[in-house]
Amino acid sequence: MDPAIVFRDLQWRYEHRKNFALKGINLEIGKNDFIGVVGPNEHGKTTLVSAISGLIPHSYNGIYKGSIEVFGKKVFDSDALELATNVGIVFSDPESQFTAMTVEEELAFGLENMGFELAKIRERIEWAAEITLIQDLLDKSPYDISGGQKQRVAIACVLAMDPPIIIMDEPTSMIDPLGKNLIFEILRRLKEASEHTLIVVEHNVEQLAPLADKMLLMYEGLVDRYLPTKEFFADPSYLQARGVLAPESTEFVQWLIAEKALPASIDLPLDLAGGIEATHQALQRRSSS
Amino acid sequence: MNSEAARVSTTGRTAKARKTLLGYVPMESPFYAFHPATRLILFIFLGVIPLFIFIPEVNIFLLLINLALLRWGKVDVQRLKIYMPIIFTVAIFMFTVVILAPGRDPSYTPLEVLGITVFYQPVFFTFAAYWRLIAMLFGTILYFSTNRERELLVGLRALRLPFVASYVVGLSIRAAGMFMEDFRIIREAEQARGLDTKAMRFSDQVKLYMMYLIPLFSIALRRANEISNALFARGYTLTGRTSTGQPRQDYIRSTYSYSKRDFVAIVVMVVVFVATGLAQIFFDIFAIEHSPLNILLRQALEIPS
Repeated sequence: MDPAIVFRDLQWRYEHRKNFALKGINLEIGKNDFIGVVGPNEHGKTTLVSAISGLIPHSYNGIYKGSIEVFGKKVFDSDALELATNVGIVFSDPESQFTAMTVEEELAFGLENMGFELAKIRERIEWAAEITLIQDLLDKSPYDISGGQKQRVAIACVLAMDPPIIIMDEPTSMIDPLGKNLIFEILRRLKEASEHTLIVVEHNVEQLAPLADKMLLMYEGLVDRYLPTKEFFADPSYLQARGVLAPESTEFVQWLIAEKALPASIDLPLDLAGGIEATHQALQRRSSS
Repeated sequence: MNSEAARVSTTGRTAKARKTLLGYVPMESPFYAFHPATRLILFIFLGVIPLFIFIPEVNIFLLLINLALLRWGKVDVQRLKIYMPIIFTVAIFMFTVVILAPGRDPSYTPLEVLGITVFYQPVFFTFAAYWRLIAMLFGTILYFSTNRERELLVGLRALRLPFVASYVVGLSIRAAGMFMEDFRIIREAEQARGLDTKAMRFSDQVKLYMMYLIPLFSIALRRANEISNALFARGYTLTGRTSTGQPRQDYIRSTYSYSKRDFVAIVVMVVVFVATGLAQIFFDIFAIEHSPLNILLRQALEIPS
Protein backbone atom coordinates (compact mmCIF):
# COMPACT_ATOMS: atom_id res chain seq x y z
CA MET A 1 0.00 0.00 0.00
CA ASP A 2 1.31 3.49 -0.84
CA PRO A 3 2.12 5.58 2.22
CA ALA A 4 -0.02 8.61 3.05
CA ILE A 5 2.93 10.85 3.95
CA VAL A 6 6.57 10.61 2.91
CA PHE A 7 9.32 12.85 4.31
CA ARG A 8 12.54 13.01 2.31
CA ASP A 9 15.40 14.60 4.23
CA LEU A 10 13.19 17.49 5.34
CA GLN A 11 15.03 20.37 6.98
CA TRP A 12 13.47 23.55 8.24
CA ARG A 13 14.87 26.62 9.94
CA TYR A 14 12.56 29.40 11.13
CA GLU A 15 13.47 32.92 10.05
CA HIS A 16 15.78 34.69 12.53
CA ARG A 17 16.66 31.41 14.25
CA LYS A 18 20.16 30.04 14.45
CA ASN A 19 19.42 26.32 14.43
CA PHE A 20 17.31 24.12 12.23
CA ALA A 21 14.10 23.00 13.95
CA LEU A 22 13.96 19.92 11.69
CA LYS A 23 17.36 18.49 10.81
CA GLY A 24 16.69 15.97 8.09
CA ILE A 25 13.50 13.98 8.59
CA ASN A 26 13.09 10.74 6.66
CA LEU A 27 9.82 9.08 7.45
CA GLU A 28 6.88 7.21 5.96
CA ILE A 29 3.42 7.22 7.51
CA GLY A 30 0.99 4.60 6.28
CA LYS A 31 -2.63 5.18 5.31
CA ASN A 32 -5.09 4.93 8.23
CA ASP A 33 -2.28 4.55 10.76
CA PHE A 34 -2.64 6.13 14.19
CA ILE A 35 0.67 7.77 15.04
CA GLY A 36 1.43 9.16 18.50
CA VAL A 37 4.10 11.84 18.51
CA VAL A 38 5.98 12.49 21.75
CA GLY A 39 9.10 14.28 22.84
CA PRO A 40 10.26 17.12 25.03
CA ASN A 41 9.18 20.70 24.33
CA GLU A 42 11.07 22.65 21.66
CA HIS A 43 12.33 19.48 19.96
CA GLY A 44 10.30 19.76 16.75
CA LYS A 45 6.93 18.05 17.32
CA THR A 46 4.75 21.00 16.34
CA THR A 47 7.13 21.94 13.52
CA LEU A 48 6.86 18.39 12.16
CA VAL A 49 3.07 18.44 12.02
CA SER A 50 3.01 22.03 10.75
CA ALA A 51 5.13 20.83 7.85
CA ILE A 52 2.62 18.09 7.04
CA SER A 53 -0.31 20.54 7.15
CA GLY A 54 1.56 22.97 4.90
CA LEU A 55 1.65 25.80 7.43
CA ILE A 56 5.38 25.32 6.91
CA PRO A 57 6.47 26.71 4.47
CA HIS A 58 3.27 28.50 3.31
CA SER A 59 2.52 30.53 6.46
CA TYR A 60 5.97 30.86 8.00
CA ASN A 61 9.20 32.29 6.65
CA GLY A 62 12.37 30.23 6.84
CA ILE A 63 14.71 27.88 5.02
CA TYR A 64 13.08 24.74 3.63
CA LYS A 65 15.13 21.84 2.27
CA GLY A 66 14.07 18.36 1.22
CA SER A 67 10.41 17.52 0.71
CA ILE A 68 7.19 16.07 2.11
CA GLU A 69 4.68 14.33 -0.08
CA VAL A 70 1.07 13.90 0.93
CA PHE A 71 -0.57 11.23 -1.23
CA GLY A 72 2.22 11.64 -3.74
CA LYS A 73 1.95 15.42 -4.07
CA LYS A 74 4.62 17.71 -2.67
CA VAL A 75 3.35 19.97 0.12
CA PHE A 76 5.62 22.75 -1.14
CA ASP A 77 3.79 22.78 -4.48
CA SER A 78 0.26 22.50 -3.03
CA ASP A 79 -1.99 25.44 -2.19
CA ALA A 80 -4.12 26.00 0.93
CA LEU A 81 -7.22 24.46 -0.62
CA GLU A 82 -5.49 21.27 -1.78
CA LEU A 83 -3.81 20.87 1.59
CA ALA A 84 -6.99 21.49 3.57
CA THR A 85 -8.76 18.87 1.49
CA ASN A 86 -6.15 16.27 2.45
CA VAL A 87 -4.94 17.38 5.88
CA GLY A 88 -6.94 18.74 8.81
CA ILE A 89 -5.17 20.13 11.84
CA VAL A 90 -6.43 20.82 15.36
CA PHE A 91 -4.25 23.22 17.35
CA SER A 92 -3.57 23.08 21.09
CA ASP A 93 -5.37 26.38 21.79
CA PRO A 94 -8.91 25.78 20.57
CA GLU A 95 -9.86 29.45 20.64
CA SER A 96 -7.05 30.39 18.31
CA GLN A 97 -8.64 28.41 15.49
CA PHE A 98 -12.10 29.98 15.62
CA THR A 99 -13.02 32.54 13.02
CA ALA A 100 -16.82 32.56 13.15
CA MET A 101 -19.58 33.76 15.44
CA THR A 102 -21.45 30.52 16.15
CA VAL A 103 -20.35 26.91 16.37
CA GLU A 104 -22.54 26.04 13.39
CA GLU A 105 -20.88 28.74 11.26
CA GLU A 106 -17.51 27.52 12.43
CA LEU A 107 -18.28 24.04 11.16
CA ALA A 108 -19.78 25.33 7.93
CA PHE A 109 -16.80 27.56 7.09
CA GLY A 110 -14.40 24.85 5.91
CA LEU A 111 -17.17 23.06 4.02
CA GLU A 112 -18.13 26.27 2.22
CA ASN A 113 -14.47 26.71 1.27
CA MET A 114 -14.54 23.26 -0.26
CA GLY A 115 -17.57 24.18 -2.35
CA PHE A 116 -20.09 21.65 -1.07
CA GLU A 117 -23.82 21.93 -1.73
CA LEU A 118 -25.98 23.22 1.14
CA ALA A 119 -27.56 19.82 1.78
CA LYS A 120 -24.13 18.20 1.96
CA ILE A 121 -22.91 20.91 4.33
CA ARG A 122 -25.91 20.32 6.61
CA GLU A 123 -25.34 16.57 6.53
CA ARG A 124 -21.61 16.92 7.35
CA ILE A 125 -22.29 19.36 10.19
CA GLU A 126 -24.81 16.99 11.77
CA TRP A 127 -22.43 14.05 11.38
CA ALA A 128 -19.42 15.84 12.88
CA ALA A 129 -21.53 17.30 15.71
CA GLU A 130 -22.83 13.84 16.59
CA ILE A 131 -19.38 12.24 16.70
CA THR A 132 -17.95 15.01 18.86
CA LEU A 133 -21.06 15.34 21.06
CA ILE A 134 -21.63 19.02 20.36
CA GLN A 135 -25.19 18.91 18.95
CA ASP A 136 -26.40 21.21 21.76
CA LEU A 137 -23.72 23.80 21.08
CA LEU A 138 -24.38 24.55 17.42
CA ASP A 139 -26.27 27.78 18.10
CA LYS A 140 -23.78 29.07 20.69
CA SER A 141 -20.83 31.35 20.31
CA PRO A 142 -17.57 29.37 20.22
CA TYR A 143 -16.12 31.87 22.71
CA ASP A 144 -18.84 31.25 25.27
CA ILE A 145 -18.37 27.53 25.90
CA SER A 146 -15.98 25.60 28.15
CA GLY A 147 -12.42 24.67 27.17
CA GLY A 148 -13.26 21.02 26.55
CA GLN A 149 -16.28 21.98 24.45
CA LYS A 150 -14.12 24.40 22.46
CA GLN A 151 -11.64 21.68 21.65
CA ARG A 152 -14.44 19.32 20.60
CA VAL A 153 -15.77 22.06 18.32
CA ALA A 154 -12.29 22.48 16.84
CA ILE A 155 -12.12 18.73 16.20
CA ALA A 156 -15.62 18.77 14.71
CA CYS A 157 -14.57 21.54 12.31
CA VAL A 158 -11.79 19.34 10.98
CA LEU A 159 -13.90 16.18 10.96
CA ALA A 160 -16.68 17.91 9.03
CA MET A 161 -14.22 18.53 6.19
CA ASP A 162 -13.43 14.80 6.34
CA PRO A 163 -9.78 15.02 5.32
CA PRO A 164 -8.03 11.63 5.01
CA ILE A 165 -5.27 12.86 7.35
CA ILE A 166 -6.12 14.42 10.71
CA ILE A 167 -3.45 15.99 12.88
CA MET A 168 -4.02 17.00 16.50
CA ASP A 169 -1.31 19.07 18.12
CA GLU A 170 -1.62 18.64 21.88
CA PRO A 171 -5.42 18.67 21.76
CA THR A 172 -5.83 18.13 25.51
CA SER A 173 -3.17 20.48 26.83
CA MET A 174 -5.62 23.23 27.80
CA ILE A 175 -8.59 21.27 29.10
CA ASP A 176 -9.77 19.57 32.29
CA PRO A 177 -9.51 15.78 32.94
CA LEU A 178 -13.11 15.02 31.95
CA GLY A 179 -12.67 17.04 28.78
CA LYS A 180 -9.48 15.07 28.05
CA ASN A 181 -11.35 11.79 28.42
CA LEU A 182 -13.94 12.94 25.89
CA ILE A 183 -11.23 13.90 23.40
CA PHE A 184 -9.62 10.47 23.72
CA GLU A 185 -13.05 8.87 23.37
CA ILE A 186 -13.44 10.72 20.06
CA LEU A 187 -9.98 9.54 19.02
CA ARG A 188 -10.93 5.98 19.92
CA ARG A 189 -14.05 6.19 17.74
CA LEU A 190 -12.00 7.57 14.86
CA LYS A 191 -9.45 4.80 15.20
CA GLU A 192 -12.20 2.19 15.23
CA ALA A 193 -13.70 3.64 12.07
CA SER A 194 -10.23 3.31 10.49
CA GLU A 195 -10.97 5.84 7.78
CA HIS A 196 -8.37 8.44 8.68
CA THR A 197 -4.64 8.68 9.15
CA LEU A 198 -4.37 10.15 12.64
CA ILE A 199 -1.27 11.95 13.91
CA VAL A 200 -1.58 13.05 17.51
CA VAL A 201 1.06 15.09 19.32
CA GLU A 202 0.46 14.54 23.01
CA HIS A 203 2.24 14.50 26.37
CA ASN A 204 -0.47 12.34 27.91
CA VAL A 205 1.14 8.99 27.07
CA GLU A 206 -1.19 7.09 29.43
CA GLN A 207 -4.16 7.66 27.15
CA LEU A 208 -2.34 7.98 23.86
CA ALA A 209 -0.35 4.72 23.96
CA PRO A 210 -3.35 2.32 24.04
CA LEU A 211 -4.68 3.94 20.87
CA ALA A 212 -1.54 4.45 18.81
CA ASP A 213 -0.40 1.92 16.21
CA LYS A 214 3.05 3.49 16.18
CA MET A 215 4.87 6.00 18.33
CA LEU A 216 7.28 8.62 17.09
CA LEU A 217 9.84 10.31 19.32
CA MET A 218 11.06 13.72 18.18
CA TYR A 219 14.35 14.67 19.75
CA GLU A 220 16.59 17.59 18.81
CA GLY A 221 14.83 18.07 15.48
CA LEU A 222 15.18 14.45 14.42
CA VAL A 223 13.01 11.36 14.45
CA ASP A 224 14.75 9.55 17.28
CA ARG A 225 12.43 6.52 17.33
CA TYR A 226 9.55 5.43 15.15
CA LEU A 227 8.30 2.00 16.16
CA PRO A 228 5.11 0.01 16.81
CA THR A 229 3.83 1.14 20.21
CA LYS A 230 4.83 -1.89 22.30
CA GLU A 231 8.35 -1.96 20.86
CA PHE A 232 8.60 1.78 21.37
CA PHE A 233 7.99 1.45 25.11
CA ALA A 234 10.18 -1.64 25.52
CA ASP A 235 13.16 0.44 26.71
CA PRO A 236 11.80 2.88 29.33
CA SER A 237 15.20 4.11 30.51
CA TYR A 238 16.08 5.20 26.96
CA LEU A 239 12.82 7.12 26.71
CA GLN A 240 13.22 8.60 30.17
CA ALA A 241 16.63 9.99 29.18
CA ARG A 242 14.78 11.83 26.40
CA GLY A 243 12.09 13.23 28.63
CA VAL A 244 9.36 10.70 27.83
CA LEU A 245 7.73 8.47 30.41
CA ALA A 246 6.18 5.14 29.45
CA PRO A 247 2.60 4.41 30.63
CA GLU A 248 2.62 3.51 34.33
CA SER A 249 1.18 0.02 33.70
CA THR A 250 3.99 -0.67 31.19
CA GLU A 251 6.62 0.49 33.67
CA PHE A 252 5.05 -1.56 36.45
CA VAL A 253 5.04 -4.76 34.39
CA GLN A 254 8.64 -4.08 33.32
CA TRP A 255 9.52 -3.82 37.01
CA LEU A 256 7.74 -7.18 37.63
CA ILE A 257 9.82 -8.70 34.83
CA ALA A 258 13.01 -7.28 36.35
CA GLU A 259 11.97 -8.78 39.71
CA LYS A 260 11.44 -12.15 37.94
CA ALA A 261 7.76 -12.09 38.90
CA LEU A 262 6.85 -12.37 35.22
CA PRO A 263 8.69 -13.87 32.25
CA ALA A 264 10.45 -11.47 29.86
CA SER A 265 8.34 -12.89 27.03
CA ILE A 266 5.12 -11.40 28.43
CA ASP A 267 3.21 -8.99 26.23
CA LEU A 268 3.79 -5.48 27.62
CA PRO A 269 0.52 -3.78 28.57
CA LEU A 270 -0.17 -0.20 27.49
CA ASP A 271 -3.25 0.49 29.59
CA LEU A 272 -4.58 -0.09 33.09
CA ALA A 273 -6.61 -3.18 32.13
CA GLY A 274 -3.50 -4.82 30.68
CA GLY A 275 -1.52 -3.90 33.79
CA ILE A 276 -4.13 -5.49 36.07
CA GLU A 277 -4.16 -8.65 33.92
CA ALA A 278 -0.36 -8.90 34.07
CA THR A 279 -0.43 -8.39 37.85
CA HIS A 280 -2.95 -11.26 38.17
CA GLN A 281 -0.58 -13.48 36.21
CA ALA A 282 2.31 -12.50 38.50
CA LEU A 283 0.24 -13.32 41.60
CA GLN A 284 -0.82 -16.69 40.13
CA ARG A 285 2.83 -17.51 39.32
CA ARG A 286 3.83 -16.74 42.90
CA SER A 287 1.02 -18.79 44.45
CA SER A 288 1.73 -21.77 42.17
CA SER A 289 5.50 -21.76 42.84
CA MET B 1 -18.40 27.00 33.37
CA ASN B 2 -19.47 29.58 30.80
CA SER B 3 -21.21 32.75 31.90
CA GLU B 4 -24.50 31.88 30.25
CA ALA B 5 -24.73 28.52 31.98
CA ALA B 6 -23.67 30.16 35.23
CA ARG B 7 -26.58 32.53 35.05
CA VAL B 8 -28.95 29.64 34.66
CA SER B 9 -27.58 27.54 37.49
CA THR B 10 -27.16 30.30 40.06
CA THR B 11 -30.61 31.76 39.58
CA GLY B 12 -32.33 28.41 39.07
CA ARG B 13 -34.27 29.94 36.21
CA THR B 14 -33.87 29.87 32.48
CA ALA B 15 -31.51 32.57 31.22
CA LYS B 16 -33.29 35.51 29.63
CA ALA B 17 -30.29 36.88 27.79
CA ARG B 18 -27.58 35.42 25.61
CA LYS B 19 -24.06 36.79 25.76
CA THR B 20 -22.50 38.11 22.60
CA LEU B 21 -19.02 39.52 22.01
CA LEU B 22 -20.41 43.02 22.35
CA GLY B 23 -23.04 42.60 25.05
CA TYR B 24 -26.26 40.69 25.58
CA VAL B 25 -29.29 39.90 23.44
CA PRO B 26 -32.60 38.49 24.74
CA MET B 27 -33.15 34.74 24.33
CA GLU B 28 -36.52 35.49 22.76
CA SER B 29 -37.56 38.64 20.96
CA PRO B 30 -40.20 39.60 18.37
CA PHE B 31 -37.30 40.98 16.31
CA TYR B 32 -36.14 37.42 15.63
CA ALA B 33 -39.19 36.89 13.44
CA PHE B 34 -37.61 39.29 10.94
CA HIS B 35 -34.83 38.42 8.51
CA PRO B 36 -31.40 39.77 9.56
CA ALA B 37 -31.38 41.94 6.43
CA THR B 38 -34.60 43.65 7.59
CA ARG B 39 -33.08 44.25 11.01
CA LEU B 40 -29.95 45.69 9.41
CA ILE B 41 -32.08 48.00 7.27
CA LEU B 42 -33.87 49.11 10.46
CA PHE B 43 -30.45 49.87 11.96
CA ILE B 44 -29.45 51.91 8.91
CA PHE B 45 -32.85 53.60 8.94
CA LEU B 46 -32.69 54.57 12.61
CA GLY B 47 -29.00 55.42 12.40
CA VAL B 48 -29.10 57.59 9.29
CA ILE B 49 -32.49 59.26 9.44
CA PRO B 50 -31.50 61.64 12.28
CA LEU B 51 -28.90 63.08 9.90
CA PHE B 52 -31.77 64.61 7.90
CA ILE B 53 -33.46 65.99 10.98
CA PHE B 54 -32.35 69.18 12.74
CA ILE B 55 -35.50 69.58 14.86
CA PRO B 56 -34.59 68.26 18.35
CA GLU B 57 -38.20 67.35 19.18
CA VAL B 58 -38.32 64.97 16.21
CA ASN B 59 -35.04 63.37 17.24
CA ILE B 60 -36.35 63.01 20.81
CA PHE B 61 -39.42 61.36 19.29
CA LEU B 62 -37.10 59.00 17.37
CA LEU B 63 -35.30 58.27 20.64
CA LEU B 64 -38.64 57.38 22.23
CA ILE B 65 -39.38 55.08 19.27
CA ASN B 66 -36.01 53.42 19.88
CA LEU B 67 -36.83 52.97 23.57
CA ALA B 68 -40.26 51.56 22.70
CA LEU B 69 -38.64 49.14 20.25
CA LEU B 70 -36.13 48.09 22.92
CA ARG B 71 -39.01 47.33 25.25
CA TRP B 72 -40.98 45.57 22.53
CA GLY B 73 -37.86 43.59 21.65
CA LYS B 74 -37.70 42.29 25.26
CA VAL B 75 -34.32 43.88 25.85
CA ASP B 76 -33.42 44.11 29.52
CA VAL B 77 -33.61 47.89 29.89
CA GLN B 78 -31.64 47.69 33.15
CA ARG B 79 -28.58 46.75 31.09
CA LEU B 80 -28.81 50.08 29.25
CA LYS B 81 -27.54 51.79 32.40
CA ILE B 82 -24.03 51.09 31.16
CA TYR B 83 -24.59 53.70 28.45
CA MET B 84 -25.49 56.46 30.92
CA PRO B 85 -21.87 57.60 31.40
CA ILE B 86 -21.49 58.00 27.63
CA ILE B 87 -24.74 59.95 27.37
CA PHE B 88 -23.74 62.35 30.16
CA THR B 89 -20.11 62.63 29.10
CA VAL B 90 -21.08 63.57 25.56
CA ALA B 91 -23.51 66.20 26.91
CA ILE B 92 -20.93 67.68 29.27
CA PHE B 93 -18.27 67.74 26.57
CA MET B 94 -20.49 69.30 23.89
CA PHE B 95 -22.04 71.97 26.09
CA THR B 96 -18.73 72.86 27.78
CA VAL B 97 -17.14 73.43 24.39
CA VAL B 98 -20.02 75.53 23.07
CA ILE B 99 -20.20 77.65 26.23
CA LEU B 100 -16.45 78.25 26.49
CA ALA B 101 -15.76 78.53 22.76
CA PRO B 102 -18.97 79.53 21.01
CA GLY B 103 -17.26 81.10 17.99
CA ARG B 104 -17.69 84.64 16.74
CA ASP B 105 -20.70 85.79 14.82
CA PRO B 106 -22.31 89.23 15.15
CA SER B 107 -25.74 87.68 14.72
CA TYR B 108 -25.37 85.62 17.91
CA THR B 109 -27.59 86.70 20.77
CA PRO B 110 -25.78 86.93 24.15
CA LEU B 111 -27.65 85.80 27.23
CA GLU B 112 -26.64 86.08 30.88
CA VAL B 113 -27.10 82.74 32.65
CA LEU B 114 -25.89 82.46 36.26
CA GLY B 115 -23.40 85.22 35.64
CA ILE B 116 -21.99 83.61 32.48
CA THR B 117 -22.50 84.99 29.00
CA VAL B 118 -23.73 82.32 26.62
CA PHE B 119 -24.90 82.73 23.05
CA TYR B 120 -28.31 81.44 22.18
CA GLN B 121 -27.77 80.21 18.58
CA PRO B 122 -24.73 77.94 19.13
CA VAL B 123 -26.21 76.59 22.38
CA PHE B 124 -29.49 75.67 20.72
CA PHE B 125 -27.64 74.22 17.74
CA THR B 126 -25.61 72.07 20.14
CA PHE B 127 -28.83 71.04 21.89
CA ALA B 128 -30.25 69.93 18.53
CA ALA B 129 -27.01 68.16 17.55
CA TYR B 130 -26.89 66.37 20.90
CA TRP B 131 -30.34 64.84 20.50
CA ARG B 132 -29.51 63.85 16.95
CA LEU B 133 -26.43 62.05 18.26
CA ILE B 134 -28.35 60.35 21.07
CA ALA B 135 -31.07 59.20 18.64
CA MET B 136 -28.36 57.68 16.43
CA LEU B 137 -26.64 56.11 19.45
CA PHE B 138 -29.85 54.43 20.58
CA GLY B 139 -30.43 53.15 17.04
CA THR B 140 -27.06 51.40 17.37
CA ILE B 141 -27.83 50.18 20.89
CA LEU B 142 -31.15 48.77 19.65
CA TYR B 143 -29.41 46.92 16.85
CA PHE B 144 -26.67 45.36 18.96
CA SER B 145 -29.14 44.55 21.76
CA THR B 146 -31.34 42.51 19.43
CA ASN B 147 -28.85 41.03 16.97
CA ARG B 148 -25.98 38.66 17.38
CA GLU B 149 -22.81 39.00 15.33
CA ARG B 150 -24.02 36.13 13.17
CA GLU B 151 -27.13 38.08 12.20
CA LEU B 152 -25.04 41.14 11.38
CA LEU B 153 -22.95 39.08 8.98
CA VAL B 154 -26.01 37.44 7.40
CA GLY B 155 -27.61 40.88 7.03
CA LEU B 156 -24.48 42.29 5.38
CA ARG B 157 -24.24 39.36 2.97
CA ALA B 158 -27.95 39.57 2.20
CA LEU B 159 -27.38 43.20 1.27
CA ARG B 160 -24.75 41.96 -1.22
CA LEU B 161 -21.63 42.86 0.72
CA PRO B 162 -18.89 40.52 -0.58
CA PHE B 163 -18.13 37.54 1.63
CA VAL B 164 -14.54 38.70 2.24
CA ALA B 165 -15.72 42.11 3.46
CA SER B 166 -18.36 40.62 5.77
CA TYR B 167 -15.78 38.21 7.09
CA VAL B 168 -13.43 41.07 7.90
CA VAL B 169 -16.29 42.76 9.79
CA GLY B 170 -16.84 39.52 11.73
CA LEU B 171 -13.17 39.16 12.57
CA SER B 172 -13.03 42.82 13.65
CA ILE B 173 -15.94 42.32 16.05
CA ARG B 174 -14.25 39.18 17.34
CA ALA B 175 -10.98 41.07 17.75
CA ALA B 176 -12.73 43.85 19.68
CA GLY B 177 -14.36 41.35 22.02
CA MET B 178 -11.13 39.47 22.60
CA PHE B 179 -9.17 42.69 23.09
CA MET B 180 -11.54 43.60 25.93
CA GLU B 181 -11.29 40.08 27.35
CA ASP B 182 -7.47 40.19 27.28
CA PHE B 183 -7.57 43.62 28.92
CA ARG B 184 -9.78 42.25 31.71
CA ILE B 185 -7.44 39.30 32.27
CA ILE B 186 -4.37 41.56 32.50
CA ARG B 187 -6.18 43.85 34.96
CA GLU B 188 -7.26 40.90 37.12
CA ALA B 189 -3.72 39.47 37.07
CA GLU B 190 -2.40 42.83 38.30
CA GLN B 191 -5.03 43.07 41.01
CA ALA B 192 -4.24 39.50 42.08
CA ARG B 193 -0.65 40.65 42.60
CA GLY B 194 -1.78 43.50 44.84
CA LEU B 195 -2.09 46.45 42.47
CA ASP B 196 -4.62 48.96 43.81
CA THR B 197 -5.47 51.39 41.03
CA LYS B 198 -7.81 53.37 43.29
CA ALA B 199 -4.88 54.34 45.48
CA MET B 200 -2.89 55.57 42.47
CA ARG B 201 -2.56 59.17 41.32
CA PHE B 202 -4.36 60.07 38.11
CA SER B 203 -1.06 60.52 36.23
CA ASP B 204 0.09 57.06 37.34
CA GLN B 205 -3.20 55.57 36.19
CA VAL B 206 -2.69 57.15 32.76
CA LYS B 207 0.84 55.66 32.62
CA LEU B 208 -0.57 52.29 33.62
CA TYR B 209 -3.08 52.37 30.77
CA MET B 210 -0.25 53.19 28.35
CA MET B 211 1.66 50.19 29.67
CA TYR B 212 -1.31 47.91 28.95
CA LEU B 213 -0.88 48.61 25.25
CA ILE B 214 2.35 46.59 25.01
CA PRO B 215 0.97 43.21 26.14
CA LEU B 216 -2.37 43.86 24.46
CA PHE B 217 -0.82 44.55 21.08
CA SER B 218 1.60 41.64 21.32
CA ILE B 219 -1.35 39.34 22.16
CA ALA B 220 -3.33 40.83 19.27
CA LEU B 221 -0.46 40.17 16.85
CA ARG B 222 -0.12 36.59 18.04
CA ARG B 223 -3.85 36.06 17.65
CA ALA B 224 -3.74 37.53 14.15
CA ASN B 225 -1.07 34.98 13.25
CA GLU B 226 -3.13 32.15 14.76
CA ILE B 227 -6.27 33.19 12.87
CA SER B 228 -4.25 33.37 9.67
CA ASN B 229 -3.07 29.79 10.30
CA ALA B 230 -6.64 28.68 11.04
CA LEU B 231 -7.90 30.20 7.77
CA PHE B 232 -5.09 28.45 5.88
CA ALA B 233 -5.85 25.14 7.57
CA ARG B 234 -9.52 25.41 6.54
CA GLY B 235 -8.58 26.03 2.94
CA TYR B 236 -9.78 29.63 2.73
CA THR B 237 -8.72 31.50 -0.39
CA LEU B 238 -9.29 35.22 -0.97
CA THR B 239 -10.39 34.48 -4.53
CA GLY B 240 -13.31 32.39 -3.25
CA ARG B 241 -12.09 29.37 -5.27
CA THR B 242 -13.37 26.05 -3.92
CA SER B 243 -11.87 22.56 -4.16
CA THR B 244 -14.86 21.18 -6.05
CA GLY B 245 -14.89 24.11 -8.47
CA GLN B 246 -18.51 24.84 -7.45
CA PRO B 247 -19.54 28.36 -6.34
CA ARG B 248 -19.09 29.02 -2.65
CA GLN B 249 -22.35 28.42 -0.75
CA ASP B 250 -23.47 30.53 2.20
CA TYR B 251 -24.80 27.97 4.63
CA ILE B 252 -25.69 30.26 7.50
CA ARG B 253 -27.53 32.66 5.21
CA SER B 254 -29.50 29.75 3.86
CA THR B 255 -30.87 29.02 7.34
CA TYR B 256 -32.82 32.33 7.28
CA SER B 257 -35.71 33.15 4.99
CA TYR B 258 -37.76 36.24 4.17
CA SER B 259 -41.45 36.48 4.99
CA LYS B 260 -44.21 38.90 4.06
CA ARG B 261 -43.59 40.95 7.19
CA ASP B 262 -40.02 41.55 6.02
CA PHE B 263 -41.16 42.99 2.73
CA VAL B 264 -43.78 45.19 4.43
CA ALA B 265 -41.25 46.46 6.98
CA ILE B 266 -38.61 47.15 4.32
CA VAL B 267 -41.09 49.00 2.09
CA VAL B 268 -42.33 51.14 5.03
CA MET B 269 -38.77 52.00 6.07
CA VAL B 270 -37.62 52.83 2.55
CA VAL B 271 -40.70 55.01 1.92
CA VAL B 272 -40.30 56.90 5.22
CA PHE B 273 -36.57 57.27 4.64
CA VAL B 274 -36.91 58.59 1.10
CA ALA B 275 -39.81 60.89 2.08
CA THR B 276 -37.83 62.30 5.02
CA GLY B 277 -34.73 62.82 2.88
CA LEU B 278 -36.63 64.50 0.08
CA ALA B 279 -38.66 66.65 2.50
CA GLN B 280 -35.45 67.93 4.06
CA ILE B 281 -33.40 68.31 0.87
CA PHE B 282 -36.07 70.06 -1.18
CA PHE B 283 -38.34 71.72 1.40
CA ASP B 284 -36.10 72.09 4.48
CA ILE B 285 -38.98 70.80 6.60
CA PHE B 286 -36.76 69.51 9.40
CA ALA B 287 -34.60 72.68 9.66
CA ILE B 288 -33.77 73.92 13.15
CA GLU B 289 -35.84 77.10 12.51
CA HIS B 290 -38.97 74.95 12.42
CA SER B 291 -38.39 73.58 15.91
CA PRO B 292 -41.37 74.54 18.11
CA LEU B 293 -39.06 74.80 21.11
CA ASN B 294 -36.75 77.11 19.18
CA ILE B 295 -39.67 79.28 18.11
CA LEU B 296 -41.02 79.39 21.66
CA LEU B 297 -37.66 80.30 23.19
CA ARG B 298 -36.98 82.99 20.59
CA GLN B 299 -40.38 84.52 21.30
CA ALA B 300 -39.84 84.34 25.06
CA LEU B 301 -36.32 85.78 24.85
CA GLU B 302 -37.28 88.23 22.08
CA ILE B 303 -34.61 86.93 19.72
CA PRO B 304 -35.26 87.78 16.06
CA SER B 305 -35.39 84.74 13.74
